[in-house]
Amino acid sequence: MHAFFATIRTSYRRQLTYRAANLSGLATNLMFGFFRAAVLIALYNGQASVNGLSIQGAITYAGLAQAMIGYLSFFQWYELMHTVYDGQVGSDLLKPMNYFSYWLGIDTGRALGAFLIRSLPLFLVFALFYDIVLPPTLLHWLAFLLSLVLALLISFSYRFMVNLAAFWTPNALGVGRFAFGLSWTFSGFYMPLALFPDWIAQLSRVTPFGAGVYVPIEIFLGIVAGKELLNRLLLQVFWVLFLGLLAHFVLARGIRKLVIQGG
Amino acid sequence: MSEPIIQIKQLQKTFKVYKDHKGYLGALRNLFERQYNLVHAVDKISFDVQPGELVGYIGPNGAGKSTTIKMLTGLLVPTSGEVLVNGYIPWKQRKAYVKNIGAVFGQRTTLWWDLPLRDSLDLLQHIYEIPDDTFQQNLGMFREILELDPFMETPVRSLSLGQRMRADLCAALLHNPTLVFLDEPTIGLDVVAKQRIREFIQFLNHERKTTILLTTHDISDVAKLCKRVVIIDHGKILFDGHLNSLLEFFGGRRLLVVDFAEFYPEPSLGEAEIIQQDRNKVIYSFERSSISASKLINQLSENYRIRDLEVRDQPIEDTIRRIYEEQLLYNHPNGKENPSS
Amino acid sequence: MKRAIGLLAKLLRIQVRSQLQYPTSFILEVFSSAIILGFFFVSFALTFSRFDQIGGWTLGEVAFIWGITEFSFGVMDMVFSGFDYDSFGPMIRNGRFDQLLLRPVNITLQVLGSRFVLRRMGKILEGVIIFIYGLSLVNIDWTIGKIIYIPILSFSQVLFFGSLFIFGATTTFWTMERLEILNVFTYGGSEIMSYPMHIFPRAIRLIFTFLVPAIFMSYFPAVYILEKSDPLNAPGVVSFLAPLLGLGMLALALRFWKVGIRNYQSTGS
Repeated sequence: MHAFFATIRTSYRRQLTYRAANLSGLATNLMFGFFRAAVLIALYNGQASVNGLSIQGAITYAGLAQAMIGYLSFFQWYELMHTVYDGQVGSDLLKPMNYFSYWLGIDTGRALGAFLIRSLPLFLVFALFYDIVLPPTLLHWLAFLLSLVLALLISFSYRFMVNLAAFWTPNALGVGRFAFGLSWTFSGFYMPLALFPDWIAQLSRVTPFGAGVYVPIEIFLGIVAGKELLNRLLLQVFWVLFLGLLAHFVLARGIRKLVIQGG
Repeated sequence: MSEPIIQIKQLQKTFKVYKDHKGYLGALRNLFERQYNLVHAVDKISFDVQPGELVGYIGPNGAGKSTTIKMLTGLLVPTSGEVLVNGYIPWKQRKAYVKNIGAVFGQRTTLWWDLPLRDSLDLLQHIYEIPDDTFQQNLGMFREILELDPFMETPVRSLSLGQRMRADLCAALLHNPTLVFLDEPTIGLDVVAKQRIREFIQFLNHERKTTILLTTHDISDVAKLCKRVVIIDHGKILFDGHLNSLLEFFGGRRLLVVDFAEFYPEPSLGEAEIIQQDRNKVIYSFERSSISASKLINQLSENYRIRDLEVRDQPIEDTIRRIYEEQLLYNHPNGKENPSS
Repeated sequence: MKRAIGLLAKLLRIQVRSQLQYPTSFILEVFSSAIILGFFFVSFALTFSRFDQIGGWTLGEVAFIWGITEFSFGVMDMVFSGFDYDSFGPMIRNGRFDQLLLRPVNITLQVLGSRFVLRRMGKILEGVIIFIYGLSLVNIDWTIGKIIYIPILSFSQVLFFGSLFIFGATTTFWTMERLEILNVFTYGGSEIMSYPMHIFPRAIRLIFTFLVPAIFMSYFPAVYILEKSDPLNAPGVVSFLAPLLGLGMLALALRFWKVGIRNYQSTGS
């Protein structure tokens, strides 16, 4: 446990040392938030609400989705893959620490740093420019925070597995590009899922990508409440457990593969 | 004497090095304010190299070796001072200058990672505009000497380090450069591979009269190859001269290896110091000028029972290492003020 | 010059050959990237189904400029791969750029020849499909001028995005890391060029008019080709500045690139 927190601390510090990268990432996501908000405003064209999503809700959506990019790193993450290709993986596997936990520690530190200096300031600045929607109740706030933690776990397990592809093929980058492409597609980060035809929105929501990006936003906007809210959180918990177990299973296979073939 | 092929005068390179704050909050603070120190990576050095020389340019890590090489190859512009190589100022006339030099960096490759070696070499022929007959002749020779044939069709990324180094040497020489910079050409290689590279360097210098500036942290490279060494540390030249004169002055220590007939816990021996003890086997080191070996041996046999003994010169590697560690050259008449040319 | 072009062709040919070594996986990658990238448009189109216009434009009209922009960006991303600031940073850090400096060939040419990402065909393909979809929906009053102007416009966009890549690569001489903010102008530029740009807030429009002249690269030309009314009331000539600005930006970018190299040689990596 001590090692786990030490890993988080180191990784957090490292994340903060990329000062220019963080600042420019923040500005980038913010600008894209503005772009998407402008597109939504133009589409709404004065209508107060479309399919249950108010214009303020849609704008908030655009800001939140951008804020979550840095925190979740759902669309691009090849760190583990690089360690496989440069050979660092050998000594990482020898560490007296579960390999999954080791990377979870690293990623938690990264996410923490990104949240503090990228996601949070981004959303605060975004909120200065628009009339945004906040969670309606204290319960929604708490559920949102919980949902963010679960979202990170979902996103991490998924990225971890995608990166493990490097154990099998020297061209795992191609696999990664495809896998991360999928997460753009179903996460609803480009346009609010609520504005899609209903059946597509439903389908996207139950994928790990929807559960990772869309569910926290839904809770924040107060679109769901009561039993429905609980169901959303349970859906997330399901994906955390399922992907976590699957990741361990894939990892075990991967290590066997690595040991037998010597990389 | 002919015109030097490399002329370096008062060459200096200064960098800014940033300092970071510590702790969770410090990491946040780094975002807003940073402090820096000025570091003189190369501090007003001067030396010349004559055509046909093979000069070892050595020093501990971070001494300023690679900064010097980067300036000599035109990759880096000095803060002040002058460099003239082959009649060119390297960073000013880049294209014309690099046509006649070769450079091999042990940790990098100039070859195309995904291409078979043959394709890489073909490309280099076009890049350097090497006439067909010269190219074929050189390639034929290098293929034989460096034994490239087994992996001519292999993509560079699949070559072993030793193979890649041989390939890189070939790549750097196809255009008949008069001057070659070799930066850590034996780094990471095993003994056999090292030996092979060294033989090739020797061949290049002796048979083809190529001028070579060899940078290395492996002192045995220098000991085996170079007559002249230039030692740099903390950006300054500590020594420039004949390898032998360096050794004469500092290689004064010899080793006495003794195999005792029984175990002595601390078999002290006058002015000689014990540098290694393994049960009955003890290695002493002593100053040649202050005491003779025969005197020591007499003392030994008076006090202890001996099975066998042997007198050795201290290896050159140890001598030079001692020079770095103890910074002996700061007091040496040959140090700093260099006697070159 | 002739030798330079011959060398460039040789460098590119070799890379194409090595990328086509496994044709099946290459084709798969091209198609999957076309589909994934196409999703952005599909997302927009699905959302659009709940509305009927965006800034007075129809879905077909948006698809028309969206397609051209994607196509041009794809072509640029392939041709200017060497200047992709995502990969140029590592190239400096791992010393590959130094290796290029040690060769007696123009450095710009070498960087251009150092990378050629053929799988960008996926984006090109996606752009073409969206463009054709757009054409099938809109009723354009075709004239010779319009027909000639479309390829010129696309070419100008290639130069425009290419210049931004060169700017981006050059900044890494100072930063060593890629600066994500540049994405605002490259990927972000291509995104807002895919919409009728008058819908964006004034501040954003000003940035993409005077700092980076994106608005001349898609919105104004489209106003001419699609014969849309322009709420910005710009003079008619703005529709035809694209080629001039494209060339001008390239010249500027190359100037900056030279400055960057000079700086790199005085600070090292």
